[in-house]
Amino acid sequence: MSEQNTLTYARVNDDIIRMLDKPTFKWWALFLPTLFFVGFGLFCFIYQVYSGLGVAGYRHPVFWGVYITDFVFWVGIAHSGTLISAILYLFRANFRMSIYRIAEAMTVFAVLTAGLFPIIHLGRPWNFYWLFPYPNQRELWVNFKSPLVWDVFAVSTYLTVSALFFFIGMIPDIAAVRDRVTEAPRKIIYSILSLGWKGSNWEWLHYTRAYLFFAAFATPLVLSVHSVVSWDFAMSNLPGWHTTIFAPYFVAGAIFSGLGMVIMLTVPIRKIFHLEDYITLDNYDGMAKLLILTSGIIGYAYGAEFFMAWYSGNPAEWGQYYYRITGEYAIFYWIMIVCNVVIPIPLWFKSVRRNLKILFIMSIFINIGMWFERFNIIVISLSHGFDPAAWGIYKPSWVEVGITVGSFAWFLMFFLLFLKTLPAVSIAEMKEILPVPKKEAQT
Amino acid sequence: MSEDKKGGIKRRDFLKIIGVAGGTAVVASSCSEPVEQIIPYVIPPEGIIPGVPNWYASTCRECPAGCGILVKNREGRAIKIEGNSKSPINNGASCARGQAALQGLYNPDRIRSPLSKNDAGKLRPLGWEGAEKTLTEKIEELRGNSKTGNIVFLSNHISGSLNKLVGEWMDALGGKHIEYETFAHEPLKEANKISFGIDKIPTYHIDKSKYLLSFGADFIETWLSPVEYTKQFSKMHSYKDKTMGKFVHVEPRASLTASSADEWISAKPGTEGFLALGIANAIVNSGQSPNGGGGLRGLLSKYSPDQVSSVTGVPVQTITQIAKEFSTMQPSLAIGGGVSVTSTNATQTLVAINILNYVAGNIGETVDFGDTLTLSNVNSFQDITSLVSSMENGEIDILFLYDVNPAYTLPKVLKFSEALEKVPFVVSFSSFLDETTEAANLILPDNTPLESWGDYSAKESVHGLIQPVMSPVFNTKGTGDVILSVSGQVEELNGRFTQTTFYDYLRDSWKEIWAGAQGAGDFETFWKDCLENGGYYLEVPSRRVSISSAISSVKFTEPEFTGDGDFYFMAYPSYRYYDGRGANKPWLQELPEALSTGVWSSWVEVHPDTAKKLNVKLGDFLSIESPEGVIEIQVYIYQGIRPDTLSVMIGQGHTSYGRYAKDRGVNPITILPLSTDELSGGFAWLSTKVKAAKVNKHEQFVQTQYTTTQHDRGMVQAVTLTELQQGLHHEEHHAPDFYPPREYDRYRWGMAIDLQKCVGCGACVTACYAENNIAFVGKELVAKRRDMAWIRIERYFEEANNNAGFQTRFLPMLCQQCGNAPCEPVCPVYATYHNPEGLNGMVYNRCVGTRYCANNCTYKVRKFNFYTYKWPEPLNWQLNPDVTVRTKGIMEKCTFCVQRINHGKDLAKDEGRDVRDGDFKVACEQACPADAIVFGNLEDHESKASKLSHDDRGYKVLAEVNTLPAITYLKKVTQDKA
Repeated sequence: MSEQNTLTYARVNDDIIRMLDKPTFKWWALFLPTLFFVGFGLFCFIYQVYSGLGVAGYRHPVFWGVYITDFVFWVGIAHSGTLISAILYLFRANFRMSIYRIAEAMTVFAVLTAGLFPIIHLGRPWNFYWLFPYPNQRELWVNFKSPLVWDVFAVSTYLTVSALFFFIGMIPDIAAVRDRVTEAPRKIIYSILSLGWKGSNWEWLHYTRAYLFFAAFATPLVLSVHSVVSWDFAMSNLPGWHTTIFAPYFVAGAIFSGLGMVIMLTVPIRKIFHLEDYITLDNYDGMAKLLILTSGIIGYAYGAEFFMAWYSGNPAEWGQYYYRITGEYAIFYWIMIVCNVVIPIPLWFKSVRRNLKILFIMSIFINIGMWFERFNIIVISLSHGFDPAAWGIYKPSWVEVGITVGSFAWFLMFFLLFLKTLPAVSIAEMKEILPVPKKEAQT
Repeated sequence: MSEDKKGGIKRRDFLKIIGVAGGTAVVASSCSEPVEQIIPYVIPPEGIIPGVPNWYASTCRECPAGCGILVKNREGRAIKIEGNSKSPINNGASCARGQAALQGLYNPDRIRSPLSKNDAGKLRPLGWEGAEKTLTEKIEELRGNSKTGNIVFLSNHISGSLNKLVGEWMDALGGKHIEYETFAHEPLKEANKISFGIDKIPTYHIDKSKYLLSFGADFIETWLSPVEYTKQFSKMHSYKDKTMGKFVHVEPRASLTASSADEWISAKPGTEGFLALGIANAIVNSGQSPNGGGGLRGLLSKYSPDQVSSVTGVPVQTITQIAKEFSTMQPSLAIGGGVSVTSTNATQTLVAINILNYVAGNIGETVDFGDTLTLSNVNSFQDITSLVSSMENGEIDILFLYDVNPAYTLPKVLKFSEALEKVPFVVSFSSFLDETTEAANLILPDNTPLESWGDYSAKESVHGLIQPVMSPVFNTKGTGDVILSVSGQVEELNGRFTQTTFYDYLRDSWKEIWAGAQGAGDFETFWKDCLENGGYYLEVPSRRVSISSAISSVKFTEPEFTGDGDFYFMAYPSYRYYDGRGANKPWLQELPEALSTGVWSSWVEVHPDTAKKLNVKLGDFLSIESPEGVIEIQVYIYQGIRPDTLSVMIGQGHTSYGRYAKDRGVNPITILPLSTDELSGGFAWLSTKVKAAKVNKHEQFVQTQYTTTQHDRGMVQAVTLTELQQGLHHEEHHAPDFYPPREYDRYRWGMAIDLQKCVGCGACVTACYAENNIAFVGKELVAKRRDMAWIRIERYFEEANNNAGFQTRFLPMLCQQCGNAPCEPVCPVYATYHNPEGLNGMVYNRCVGTRYCANNCTYKVRKFNFYTYKWPEPLNWQLNPDVTVRTKGIMEKCTFCVQRINHGKDLAKDEGRDVRDGDFKVACEQACPADAIVFGNLEDHESKASKLSHDDRGYKVLAEVNTLPAITYLKKVTQDKA
């Protein structure tokens, strides 16, 4: 297809709606294992609820571990979706057009995944709703001083806004699908979801304004949600957590890992669904430049943290950072440094930025590195606090591994369903950057 | 309302169903155990008001010290043991073992009914009637054969009425009563006999001394009367009025006792006597002896510091220094006779120590021969060995075993178990199926001391009463009652005893004490008073003694060691298990050993240099070979031991004795040779040299603290005595804060912990477990750092400028009840909050288990319930009904015993006043034998806690985090290096 370099309105419709055809064997081959792993994760969780959190690897003094790591990781992944769809929309960055739908879907599913972990990690998950301020006859209220309550609001707000934004952006496209499909159940579902979209001028007028407002509304969330997540740590007094750098550091890290995830997802999709004309190398080039920027920011943050710990002269603070590079967990620290700071260095070269194979592999390392960044912040800090008598080493158990794998499967499951049910590339917006069709071309 | 509804269950029906189902469950579950008379109050028993505890005074029988105890009984169940403040022995304090006696009472592995061994060698339960009949028949059969003198009643040290009864019974049967104590301290008796002509163990007055020199006497752990002496030591060694006593400990190993010493001196094993003589020599030669050497100058002349130094390996300068201090810091006291240093010359060593005390003028001052210990009366080790050989020769027909476990506590080479098999009929009165009782033909389980009447007198000035604090948990019967009952059934003995119950017998024998008591009124009043006070206490005047001429005949020799290994092998009694009898109590198993913080196991202590030489690391296994056997044991590397010595605690390595004791650690007694002390004939514990080699095995060394140093965090701070005397510049500065300081109305609960007093014994830890329903979790979970202790003893080894090169420091760490608590703001659901009295309240029901509070806790004192922990029936009977039992998924921590605070407030309210200092004590404070912990109201500026919190030595741990803890620690005081 790439030989026909001209995209037309009709071809856009054809190409994108074709993605919603009956699932192939390949799709099922991917989907069924994800279902299995989701099931295994669910089993692990039920087992954990039944037995108690002891089946996880937690121990004194490391009371947060892989689950919170996963939580922060998935919230981070979520961020670049909104960044691409909202912020880049406001900046009129056209390279977002082809990928923003996938990025938004990723956001919604990542938040869905992330939102599970605070519940999974609870000692008494059946009481999770106590974290919401709801009126009750016992007159019990939540503690608004607690960063965990801020988290509840941040994540639920984020989920609501990103889901709405995702949905609103999709209405014209759903209408397009509705117009194509003929068989009964799909037709009805798409009719309902398209909210009776006709594509009238009046509708477009209001729609574009609404979309702009949503973009403006979602933009601060990109910064605020992950700042709030970082305050889960920064608001404590623990050496390694108690630092003012965390909010920008976490936001940059979130965008870094989120872009990595977008690349990881789009490279295979582009290949499988032959979307080379839609998701272009220029798009990747733009994302790769953002990777360089965010990698630089977090690299600087690593250094700044370290310097401040040394410069403070505080034995607990310096003890923590010295332990990070030399202690039992040092290997994870160095994995993080290599993945997040060293591996992205070649992106300074244009040829690397446009080489999808290298980008794909790099994005895998970036995500590994970012997962370990959260792990290091959480686990190493906790294991080496103020009181030397209470130092201890945490190792995740198979239950935590099972639930983590399950979370990836859970995310992938939604994503695979999305690919087969909703237009993965924005039809309407793709057309904005195409020349307006001539009458005869419409035949 | 429910009547209007159609269908469903009506309220009445629901209650009926519940009643029937519940009732059935109660009946079904209580059939096997006679408990139903305790709880369902159809007719409420008199004197029991639900919610109001009854306290019973009694006597602790966990070791021969015989501390007075008060047992708290709630709704018919004993739930807590505390020291009896009226007892002159322990003055209200207790130790971890005493606290854990409840877990003996409620031990799930107790023998629940009489058992007899059938022909197949299986133990079968039978009723008391049948059991007593079996015994009666056996006795009559034996007497029918007109054989006498071949019945032996082997008991532990029992004094008082039971001792008398057993004696009379044995007389009547023509048998013999032998009292066997694992740690009988025979050399102490013998040395006193030689030195002063008194065959007794005296009482020491550590509290009156200013300078204490201990030659291996582990008085904080097991020696004679640990609680009593720890309490005395705390008085002597605490900092007060710009002065404090000095304590020097000589032992090849830095024991827990040595850890509290200002100097630990590691003389070559078995040469402590020479060191004592060298010090005495130096005192006499420098003219410091008040009695001018008392005619011993000649004897001492051979032991100049130079000569002694070459024998003991202790520098001359140290010897003369000690001599100088010992004679100038008067009154001083030298003690000795710890089990772990009992070698073949133990009596000589103790004679030498007597000489040292004598030349320094301490005899009659700090050593008191008036009030001697009844432990002096137990049988000698020779009696035991001859008993074993009679058993071996088939000369014993019936052997009664009462509270002894010689199959475990005697060295294997003596072959007690083999000899036991040759005894045709063995009767055990033990409560537990231990190594010895397993071999018994008939088991007549005794009530534990908490369920029985009795008395015990540890020393002449104390007649302790033992009274049942609850009805028996199982189908057991007091041994005194069994003896009386069986005697009534044996034809010839009929009429020998007028009493039918041991209670009557006890009262009759107390009439003699009453007769001796002056101005006691009528017997009933006397009896009631004694029951209330826990016994009868009298003043025994101290006795003047003079040195005996026999002393000159003593030849001081170096000890003999069997085996040709490179290492001295030291088996030391454990302060948690004593001679092994404590090992079946999970609280004691889970109480971290203070120095290694190891739990649920035993290990060999290896010096770092030796470890390097043997190529072993922490957690590796060593095979230790003596001429008598080999043990394989895990390594703990400890700088507080001589490089030429290996040491293993006594008390673990049981092959039976219940689920908590069985197959844990190693029993070092198995490889000890049958060496005895030359002069006394007592068993010589330190008498073998062993070979050690690494074996190819490694396991995690399960401990509760993996660090050994403070990493510059200033956790345990210290000042030198000189600094204090010169006046410490103490400032209490308040960090600037955005918020106004918290205002407290009447109460702000706080605590002061004197680190100079804390000896690290762990009594507070076990008391806390008992009071607050803290779950024990077992070795596997402690290995994952999931122990639930609310208070832990942190131990740090600090480099120091002393003989040892290091100093051990302990820090009891519990919730600091911060005024500015990091845990409070982070809880999303207010499960932890600041209460108006300054406590960090913890609402278990509200906790969802985010665990953020624990992450943010500066002191890491919050414990999380990873599982719902279970107390196997009937251990759960001990649970304190005033304290919630926590379930999985919630956080818990020290509450400052809020239930006791509330109780105290209630009582004060009844009297229309505020709580006063001393109205109540929190559990850790109450138990502490060193009086290191003081709890009180900081708003009451007259309270002791409040005053101490402004002490010059006061500091807050990690004050820089600005958590404003309610606990003030008082710095440890170190002696300046002279």
